[in-house]
Amino acid sequence: MMKSELKTDCDYLLSKVHVGEEVVVVDLKIQNQFLKRRLLEMGITKGVSLIVKRKAPLGSPISFKVRGYELGLRVDEANSIIVRLKK
Amino acid sequence: MRVALVGNQNCGKTSLFNKLTGGNQKVGNWPGVTVERKEGVILGTNIEIIDLPGVYSLSPYTDEENITRNFLLDAKPDIVVNVVDSTVLERSLYLTTQIMDLGVPIVLALNMVDLLQRKKCDVNEKQLSLDLGVDTVKVSARTGCGVSELIETLKKKKPQFAQKHVKKYPEIVEKLLINARNNIKTENSFAIIEKILHAGDNDVNIVHSRQVLEKLYGKDLEQIFIELRYKYVSKIKNNCFIGENIQENNSNIFDKVLLNKYLAIPIFFLVMSSMYFLSVGVVGRFASDWLNVQFVLLLRYLKTWFSGLGVSAWLVSLLVDGILTGVTSVLSFLPQLVVIFLCISLLEASGYMSRVVFIFDRLFYRLGLSGKSLISFIVGSGCSVPAISATRAIEQEQEKQKTIILSPFIPCSAKLPIISLFVGEFFADSTGFVTMSLYFFAGLIIVLSAIVLNKCFFKTKNFAFVSELPDYKLPSVKYTLRDVTDRCKEFVLRAGTIIVLCSIFIWCLSSFSLNFRFCDNISESILAKLGNIFSWFFYPIIGEFNWAVTVSAIQGLIAKEQVVSSMSIISGLSSGVNGIFTKGLFSNFNAVSAYAFVVFNLFSAPCLASIGAMRNELKSTKKALFAVCFQIAIAWIVSSLIFQVGRNFI
Repeated sequence: MMKSELKTDCDYLLSKVHVGEEVVVVDLKIQNQFLKRRLLEMGITKGVSLIVKRKAPLGSPISFKVRGYELGLRVDEANSIIVRLKK
Repeated sequence: MRVALVGNQNCGKTSLFNKLTGGNQKVGNWPGVTVERKEGVILGTNIEIIDLPGVYSLSPYTDEENITRNFLLDAKPDIVVNVVDSTVLERSLYLTTQIMDLGVPIVLALNMVDLLQRKKCDVNEKQLSLDLGVDTVKVSARTGCGVSELIETLKKKKPQFAQKHVKKYPEIVEKLLINARNNIKTENSFAIIEKILHAGDNDVNIVHSRQVLEKLYGKDLEQIFIELRYKYVSKIKNNCFIGENIQENNSNIFDKVLLNKYLAIPIFFLVMSSMYFLSVGVVGRFASDWLNVQFVLLLRYLKTWFSGLGVSAWLVSLLVDGILTGVTSVLSFLPQLVVIFLCISLLEASGYMSRVVFIFDRLFYRLGLSGKSLISFIVGSGCSVPAISATRAIEQEQEKQKTIILSPFIPCSAKLPIISLFVGEFFADSTGFVTMSLYFFAGLIIVLSAIVLNKCFFKTKNFAFVSELPDYKLPSVKYTLRDVTDRCKEFVLRAGTIIVLCSIFIWCLSSFSLNFRFCDNISESILAKLGNIFSWFFYPIIGEFNWAVTVSAIQGLIAKEQVVSSMSIISGLSSGVNGIFTKGLFSNFNAVSAYAFVVFNLFSAPCLASIGAMRNELKSTKKALFAVCFQIAIAWIVSSLIFQVGRNFI
């Protein structure tokens, strides 16, 4: 396991998390109700753990493993997902 | 009895459908919306089965998802077969909780269990059945394992017994549901929840309980319900999932290369160019050209044979110069199409297509499009009609509309005959290079048009991109073959119907003069007179007033391959079947006007079938007309520019 560059008990934006790290969703800061529901329904609920898998060659979107599958999201949207390092 | 197949995207629904029906399917139209859905009858029964578009939830996001939602809510199937990808059990069961709330009897088909077992995992289906209160059957749509058990279960199922509400939520929420159920008088908990979420202020009871809940959980009710559903699903999954789903699999290894920061884009271009090299270059040069020569010989033989039988001259002319010339000139391109359809089918089924979306999303985002637009563009190289239908997967309305307007710019397979004909004649030394340049041109046109559309007609911001990256799968041979045959059948069918009719029509117009006399000299025909009226439109593109070119290009509206058939019919009547460009009406073409004319045909309004598809997806005749005018305008401006600039250099 690689050593994490994130501090424990500190909030981060999902887009800032390095590939390979495992984090827990703390909050979804999304104004757009429609998008918020979409993300929730795809399984990004509070407390769920995510592993960041990869970044696209052009820097966006990023993808992560959640509830056993891989999901791609643009950096803009990943910025509205607040995460914390998994203990 | 009617059974609906419902499940997430990529859960193997269509394969299961094919296994259940034995491929005995018909494509039907939905009342109201003209959308393709598959219907069939389950083997050995009289149970009707309907394959619905894949959805992640019953909340409406895209048009495609709306189809499934509306079917379940309004058409009320007797039984729902909920297809679940066992390797993604948790997310799949979320949809299950929503279907359960609908109160429809469910049979849960646990698909891809074989893939799961290969990872040393399993699902305890008896426990799952007990926990959810629904029937469960393990199946593998790939191998056909468990399909007969599924059919047996369906046969035994009594449709009249609605599913009882299964408690999934904490006591306080369940109480609220019971209260509401008594008020609204329905067993459909899904409808009740929707009602609670969107209740007006006059529903005092509901509004009060809603406020209580929101206060208790500290967030809005919608989020509460989604999170409660996932909580329930996680519990169930932990209860019946055996083993640990270890992350590192083959897909990951593939993605390390295919999505590599430096390799991803070169690999994509390599894949696409080999697809075109194979179809236009290798197969195009040998198979299509060979077929073409055979057809020409056949027609010549038939002509002498008919004349020898004493068939009257005009009938021979109608059969050979009219119908057969038109149809064979289109059919000789079938080998190239088989290759293109095969490649697209493989790209889709293997899972590479969703990677392509992932790689290029940022680029398309800049153009005000979605990464999913690229799927339409790639499919569009086969045919614009499915490309336009594929835009249903795009969430945001404006991104979708722009993609619909732009995807006909991709040279579809029916435009290949035009490219091959002109490029083969005027750029014989560099066919590959010039053909590539046309595709490159298409890309340029799309970028420019996207900018024009964004600046002048559409002015909203992009919407989010949410896309799954499914595991790579080896496409099944059977499925691929069926897919390719279906698409080819459609193409041949069109040659047999539209092209025959148009060929007869063109032949009549070209064989009779204004006073309805059979005429030998085509320049006196009705066709020539009609073409003369509109020939000014093409003057800036080809540099002459030519009715024959005009008439042929206008026929591209009926079907793009008709441009070539029309040219061979017209020149066949005036100078002989082969050597369209050597003498007669089309002999004034040179390299520049040929290139400009091809460009016009590639980018002007697509065929009627595509225009119809555009109208359907844009849901407005006015918008479809706008799209058509926009395309014609772009094509006319660009091709005129090419000719006017280019002619100074020759």
